[in-house]
Amino acid sequence: MSASVSRNSSIMLPAILLILFALTAALIAYLREPRQYRTDPPVSEALEGMRLMPNGIAGTPPDVYFALGKPYEKTAYDLSQGKRLYTWFGCAECHGEGEGGKGPSFLDGWWLYGPSMVSIAASIRDGRPHGMPAFGSRITIDEIWQLSGYVKTIGAYSASVNAPARNDDRQTRPAENRAPAASLFDEGPVPVHPDQGPSP
Amino acid sequence: MVEQRLSVIADTDLDRAGLERELEKTWGAQPGFWGMIATVDHKVIARRYIVTAFVFLILGGLLALAMRLQLAQPEARFINPDRYNQIFTMHGSNMMFLFAVPVMEAMAVYLVPLMVGTRNIAFPRLNAFSYWVFLAGGILLWLAFLLDAAPDVGWFAYVPLAGPEYGAGKRADIWAQMITFTELSALAIAVEIVVTVFTQRAPGMSLDRIPLLVWAMLVMAFLVIMAMPAIMFASSTLIMDRLVGTQFYNPAEGGDALLWQHVFWFFGHPEVYIIFLPAVGMVSTILPTFVQRPVFGYLPLVMALIATGILSFGLWVHHMFVVGLPRLGESFFTASSMAIAVPAGIQIFCWLATLWAGRPVFKVPMLFIIGFIITFVIGGLTGVMVASVPFDTQVHDTYFVVAHFHYVLIGGAVYPLLAAIYYWFPKMTGRMMSEILGRWAFWLIFIGFHLTFFPMHILGLQGMPRRIYTYQPELPWGGLNLFVSLSSVMLAAGFLVFFIDAVRSCVHGPKAGENPWNAPTLEWATSSPPPSYNFRSIPVVEDRNPLWSRPGELTVAAGLRTDRRELLVTSVVEALPHARESSAPQSVWPFWAAIATSIMLIWSMFSAWAVVWGSMPIAIALIGWFWPKGAPEEES
Repeated sequence: MSASVSRNSSIMLPAILLILFALTAALIAYLREPRQYRTDPPVSEALEGMRLMPNGIAGTPPDVYFALGKPYEKTAYDLSQGKRLYTWFGCAECHGEGEGGKGPSFLDGWWLYGPSMVSIAASIRDGRPHGMPAFGSRITIDEIWQLSGYVKTIGAYSASVNAPARNDDRQTRPAENRAPAASLFDEGPVPVHPDQGPSP
Repeated sequence: MVEQRLSVIADTDLDRAGLERELEKTWGAQPGFWGMIATVDHKVIARRYIVTAFVFLILGGLLALAMRLQLAQPEARFINPDRYNQIFTMHGSNMMFLFAVPVMEAMAVYLVPLMVGTRNIAFPRLNAFSYWVFLAGGILLWLAFLLDAAPDVGWFAYVPLAGPEYGAGKRADIWAQMITFTELSALAIAVEIVVTVFTQRAPGMSLDRIPLLVWAMLVMAFLVIMAMPAIMFASSTLIMDRLVGTQFYNPAEGGDALLWQHVFWFFGHPEVYIIFLPAVGMVSTILPTFVQRPVFGYLPLVMALIATGILSFGLWVHHMFVVGLPRLGESFFTASSMAIAVPAGIQIFCWLATLWAGRPVFKVPMLFIIGFIITFVIGGLTGVMVASVPFDTQVHDTYFVVAHFHYVLIGGAVYPLLAAIYYWFPKMTGRMMSEILGRWAFWLIFIGFHLTFFPMHILGLQGMPRRIYTYQPELPWGGLNLFVSLSSVMLAAGFLVFFIDAVRSCVHGPKAGENPWNAPTLEWATSSPPPSYNFRSIPVVEDRNPLWSRPGELTVAAGLRTDRRELLVTSVVEALPHARESSAPQSVWPFWAAIATSIMLIWSMFSAWAVVWGSMPIAIALIGWFWPKGAPEEES
């Protein structure tokens, strides 16, 4: 009797588990995020439609950005593409590995034009006074969004699991997935930008 | 001592029916869901393992068909490149880590205790733990595939492609952690097999009387113990590089990208033999039954198994001939790669001699073995070809290599495995598989296989690289690719017939007796399927083929207690009885330990702190697992 129980159970158990597995899988399959290698032209065009405040700081991202599910600041693939673009388009020339140089730092927690995605994307696309060139004519709009998402992760104070990991290069700071801004931020004796209010 | 003897029940005190009743009470599984979860019966766990592994075989086969659909014509658009990368990675990883290795180990878990004449495998709870961990690893990989987050870096996940810079997302981590799951379960089983073979053999089964399958499983277990730590190191360091920024594989900071290839293939080449040695053990065990004479050359066969095992650690660089290593190193590894053909050749000739001297009966298992010999010899010949550096440089990463390793893996391992399923199915289920459907399955698989994979040699020589998701119509590959894709349908049909046969025979197959093939080894001395305690009394072995030399009743050893799970421990060489040893009763804790381990391993892909916090539930589960029962463990 109990031998037959054990015989049935050995077939039943994997069967039950597999059915559970399939159901869970079907459920989660709704949530999957396929990588977008080529943005559809209409989406691409819509991504241009940032509605900025009159002073060019902050504003509303295009509706399509929400319709896509805000991928550029949270999917690992887009963030890693952003990191690659950061190297390819020479961002490090002025901003270094985020510590700044000729251009402002991303690691100090200060965003001259605010920390929102739309501000950063506008900075890259349209340029800013005092030396930030406009890249709108050099890279596609979805690449600008990828780059913006990546730039945000450099200055993030809590690590995201989706942020890129280290490069196979010499290391100057912890990688983006380890929240370099949090570990490197040092206000020093004098606050970073006393003219702009209290430090974060 | 005398008083103690009075209070316990020994098998000598009971008649046959009473003994069976007592043993069933002690060894039988508890009914109900938790009884299923808690069981530590090696046969139940092995059957689960085998069924699960075959489910993964089906899933991996479907992926292969998807790839063949995509490649059937140039510029096809069934699968996009990203999905194709995931599919070929999944196909390889799934077949190697979730099918081939586990299914061979599962056969060992089922057969080794029966063949050495003991009542359960050593460390039975570890065995249960191993299955749950394996299942969790498989589910992890396939859920990731459904989430579009499956690894896309090839089944050997070379850095820097799989490293932190180029392997975006968690895809490579999922690959690496799936490896950790399956290695953990494989190591657990390897330890159980070594201990079972060395300490639990039936009295009289000295080293030179061990069935060849058990020898093969023993060598395989040692290969696992020596090779798997390398890949565990590799997968863990890869995750650390990606998660916490260690520099193991970063040349700019003193790491080494080539280290990955060395560590991976130091495991990866023995891995091939971890799959292949059990298969030759199956052949050496099944063949004598169907020629009804003892195998020719027991000693050379055992020596060949051990030699293959040792040599398999000296070949790994032949996977790396094109990375630019020193010439001397390449020459050495060419020589050693060719040298391994010697033990393989010895085995082939021993089998041929066995066939020659006997009177072969061509039942289905025998057909698969003949198919194995033919296919494996072809695969071995192309193996000797790619062992030579100039030739390998030419065909590296082409379909020639794809053809070669499918010849050795399917021909060398899957054919013997199918033979083994047909051969031991009556033992596992008590029913025979169909001889007619079996013949259909064999011929469809055999012809379908050769039509599918032989043209790949030619495609490779024509320069078709592996792992491409499509090719241009101008290239001269279209016709052969279409032919290969059509043939793969035939191969798949063969497997479909096999699975239909297996499922149908489970329910409707004719009843098998204890020993339907008139085989000589001990697993056929008990009922089919065997009772939870395997043998009513522990058999005593006097030669290599106990059921042939004593066709009636076997001599048995008596004196084991029946009111607790008790085994006979024997000496390593002579298998002289040494002690009575208790065997762990069932427990749900291995299940909880596996759940806790899975949570820790999956969590650790996302945060290094998982190793700290995740180890606490594991510790709790282990405390439950090893909680003392108050009964004296040793009393022999």
